[in-house]
Amino acid sequence: MPQLFSPNLHLENKIMDQVTLTINDRKVTVDKETSILRAALANDIFIPHLCYHPDLPSSGVCRLCMVEVGGSTTVLSCRTPVEEGMVVKTTSPEIDRDRRVNFEIIVANHHLDCKGCPGISYCKLLRLMGPLRLDRKRVRRLRLPQEELPLDNANPFLTYDANKCVICEICVHTCEKIQHALHVVGRGPKTKIAFYGDAARCENCGACIANCPVGALYAPKKDLAESA
Amino acid sequence: MGQEVSETLSGIFEFYEGKRSELIPILQEAQGVFGYLPEEPIRIIADFLKITTGEIYSVASFYNQFRLIPLGRNIVTLCRGTACHIRGAPQILDEISKAINLKEGETSPDLEYTLETVACIGCCALAPCFKINHKIYGDLTPAKTREVFHVSG
Repeated sequence: MPQLFSPNLHLENKIMDQVTLTINDRKVTVDKETSILRAALANDIFIPHLCYHPDLPSSGVCRLCMVEVGGSTTVLSCRTPVEEGMVVKTTSPEIDRDRRVNFEIIVANHHLDCKGCPGISYCKLLRLMGPLRLDRKRVRRLRLPQEELPLDNANPFLTYDANKCVICEICVHTCEKIQHALHVVGRGPKTKIAFYGDAARCENCGACIANCPVGALYAPKKDLAESA
Repeated sequence: MGQEVSETLSGIFEFYEGKRSELIPILQEAQGVFGYLPEEPIRIIADFLKITTGEIYSVASFYNQFRLIPLGRNIVTLCRGTACHIRGAPQILDEISKAINLKEGETSPDLEYTLETVACIGCCALAPCFKINHKIYGDLTPAKTREVFHVSG
């Protein structure tokens, strides 16, 4: 009769469910069903990222978390599952160049009037500028003529600033799990986030505001007593 | 009108199961019937597929083929290909904009004209050119453009 309850079963499972990979010459052991980005962050290895949020499935739109796997292929670390014996490099001349271009495009479409921005204390974009060594001169050349888009105040509890939005889609994925009221609208450089007919579904939970990595979604400054 | 719309749509729905993935074919058929995507059919389609209207707007605004406002009776298509661009398409665009008082991609409120630009209409020898519905006007100058739209200038 096979032994159903092996005393070491939990240990065996533990070993089975873990994989060991190398990130930047460091051996790292993590759970099987995880992405390279999660594995790296859990082991204090920094990979730049903007559209990744630990609570959400990654959409892979910011394209900053690119890494090199096996010395040749470039992949998005947030969307690539870990494999046994993987050799990952988070930085190399090619990766840094591609990543910098992607980052410059994001910054060039983002208004940099940080002084009055409600998100200055937590802005992820601002905090990436140092590690990615942003060249402001190059960005200025990429920048389109400044166009001030109006703030979206469709919901009295939520202000959306299209000039600051980096289209990371974190708010959309957050809302998808709760009310499914926010949507990506349009395409290309004119992409925006909007309710688009679902404003009534919004329950003002504020989860999108809490998750916004930049200052694009925020609670209006005007306090409620004033407007009442 | 409400009755008619829902009847037309239930005719379309007969061929579908009500899955999310069927949204685009349904929108295409609905646009084939109505000419564009008005609000009421969108609401009925949302109910049928059990998704939100916002999701449908999100899809419809992404694809160029879907229109949320009706097209004009006359569609002016200006070529912005390389040949036309070099031979002065931007000036022609300005001239048309002035003549029919529309910007690129807009439809006039009385639904007379829709002005759109495309990458090439395939007659570079006639650059710069545009077409009104299916008639092509080539070798244009600002003066000729004004003539086409019967504007003295």
